[in-house]
Amino acid sequence: VTTSLRTQPVASQVRVAHPRHRLRAKATWLPWAFLAPALAFFAVFKFWPVIWGAYLSFFHVRPYLGNEWAGTANFTRAFNDPDLRAAVWHTVLDAVVSVAGSMLVGFLLALLLESPARGVRILRTAVFLPAVTAMVAIAELWGALLFPGRYGAVNSLIGTVGLGPEPFLTNTHSALWTVMLIQIWKTAPYDMVIFIAGLVGIDRQLYEAASIDGAGVWSRLRRVTIPSLRPITTIVLTLGIIRGLRVFTEINVLTNGGPGGATETVVTSTYKAATVNNDAGYASAVSTLLLVATVLLTSLTLWWRNRTEAT
Amino acid sequence: MALVCAAALAACSSGSSHANATGELNVWARGSNDSPKAYQAVFAGFTAKTGIKVKLFMTLTDFETKLSAAATSHHLPDVVVDDAAQLGNFETQGIIQEIDKSKIAGADQLNAHAWDAAKDLKGRYQAIPYSVQANVLLIRKDWLAKVGMKPPKTWDDVMKVAKAFTTQDPDGDGKADTYGLTVPGSTKRGYISWYWSSLLWQAGGDYFSGGNGKFKATVNSDQAVASVRYFENMFCGKPKVVQPSSLNDTTAETNKAFQTGVTGMYFTGPYAYATMDATAVKGKYIVVAPPAGPANAQTLAEGTDIYLMAGGKTGEGQKLAEYMISADAQKVGMTKVPSATIVRLPVNSTINAADAHAGDDRWALAQTVYQRSGHFENISMPNWTALRQATSEALNALVASCGDPKPAMDKLNDKLNTILKQQGVAG
Repeated sequence: VTTSLRTQPVASQVRVAHPRHRLRAKATWLPWAFLAPALAFFAVFKFWPVIWGAYLSFFHVRPYLGNEWAGTANFTRAFNDPDLRAAVWHTVLDAVVSVAGSMLVGFLLALLLESPARGVRILRTAVFLPAVTAMVAIAELWGALLFPGRYGAVNSLIGTVGLGPEPFLTNTHSALWTVMLIQIWKTAPYDMVIFIAGLVGIDRQLYEAASIDGAGVWSRLRRVTIPSLRPITTIVLTLGIIRGLRVFTEINVLTNGGPGGATETVVTSTYKAATVNNDAGYASAVSTLLLVATVLLTSLTLWWRNRTEAT
Repeated sequence: MALVCAAALAACSSGSSHANATGELNVWARGSNDSPKAYQAVFAGFTAKTGIKVKLFMTLTDFETKLSAAATSHHLPDVVVDDAAQLGNFETQGIIQEIDKSKIAGADQLNAHAWDAAKDLKGRYQAIPYSVQANVLLIRKDWLAKVGMKPPKTWDDVMKVAKAFTTQDPDGDGKADTYGLTVPGSTKRGYISWYWSSLLWQAGGDYFSGGNGKFKATVNSDQAVASVRYFENMFCGKPKVVQPSSLNDTTAETNKAFQTGVTGMYFTGPYAYATMDATAVKGKYIVVAPPAGPANAQTLAEGTDIYLMAGGKTGEGQKLAEYMISADAQKVGMTKVPSATIVRLPVNSTINAADAHAGDDRWALAQTVYQRSGHFENISMPNWTALRQATSEALNALVASCGDPKPAMDKLNDKLNTILKQQGVAG
């Protein structure tokens, strides 16, 4: 209430100083002018490739000899490809587990490190480091740490307490789970930062009121903190889904989809279709389907959010 | 004024097209580390002889992807030096020119086996061979002495030595941290099938039957299944005799495993001599011919080819190729940069590999092995890479799960037949 009272007179002064039509004209083109550089960039490097990729989906792509029209053959093949089906399952499993895991760990970290004290700030920066480190570097690092023999760092560590050696990335049963752990290790701090921003925004009076009503720590967390973080959770979830569906780097570096296809995901198999099998048309079709799936899932999340906000 | 401009423009454009016709030859080669130095040395000789300058671009990672990008923009290099295994693939993409062998000076000096591998399915030459090789077996001689065994001559011997290396602590450090065999088991670039191919032929099997552009997959034959069973036993037998990370390893990791004393046997190409001799394992290993399987002792042969690219400067490109296969240039490629033998075994049959390498007998062995038992993969298929990738994925999955080889190979056989059909060569 106080903010709107304060800004209203300023707005009316502006209106007095400028004739109404001039303001409206200015208001329509000005934001676009500011957006223009970014839009031009996106148009060239994002929108155009997306459109071009969708177009190529309908062709048998031959870079030098010229493309051949293939109709919907690439899409039909995608829906009937058992390897792609396995890759979709791995991708969904990986996305669900790593997104949920990162959110949980990120939330717990946020609760622990929310305090504005100086020492905590250093700790928070340290915890955040994995989020700003390149995934390639992280994957190489973990690849070395998780080396499956007795001389691997993690294996020699667990060997001292009589465990292992564990195969980690070289076993069909443990490879995908190991990749998920690495993903959680990297993205939990990122989620943590967003959650901290959300926590800081919660009105302290709510906590005080809850305390007066006799709420304990657990009740305050369940009745105040978590409901207040709902919009933030949606953002974290949306970003997580988008990130989860296009997982590529860590898998390409660590396992290349192996062993035995156990970590093959949609993007790694698309990449192989394009670069190894020289089938850019098929790869484009799968990418287009992935785009559609991502848009649908994201819209669904937003719709769900709006619905829960409204109630 | 306009006239001056037009004249200037004409002069300018005619000047640049003139430069194009006789200017630098654009050459792409796949390789890294010291290989560029070796190629530069070869090309320096060519420039000195002909006055034609060469502009070299080299990369190891995603070489073919970059080439595809160049093809898309119709700015291909004039000449490409790449694996012979890309032959069918390049031809299908329409990015290489057919070679008229009779017009290549010095073509008659090249060994016939290498020329055969440069033919497509219809028997037309699509490349000029530059370097060849065949896999040999590297073994730690100090480990053999420790376990009291002789170098293996048969599949059974290999398994016995591998088990001894794994269980008898050949490095004497009191820990069970050594393994018999180094196997690059990753699906990347088809490494695992690359390793298995030799075993397939040694068992008397083959990838395909047929000819004249019509093929059927035969990887579920009794012989092929026997080779897979033997191969799987390396991973799934007791004890497991390959390095623990094998299923995700490519040569970068396997080289390291052999160099650092994790593994005691390494079935690989003779280019490994230089790599190994640059490390602590130098002098500790011997090289022997591939141990024989139930049928024979055939071994994977590979090559590097010179491709003349579509739309490139054919005349000058051919001159460069003729120079590169000459005895002098081949020797430079073999020995100028010791850490990068870009010519592994010479294609020029007037050269003796061991003599060129200062009497190094290991090269004489490699040359004999290549001539007697070298076997190329089906590289002239319209897209061998796709077939190789499917094979790799099936093998990798099988040995990862230690499953029954027969149904897995039946499934792979069907898949290969499907791919053959997609490539228009099923029959």
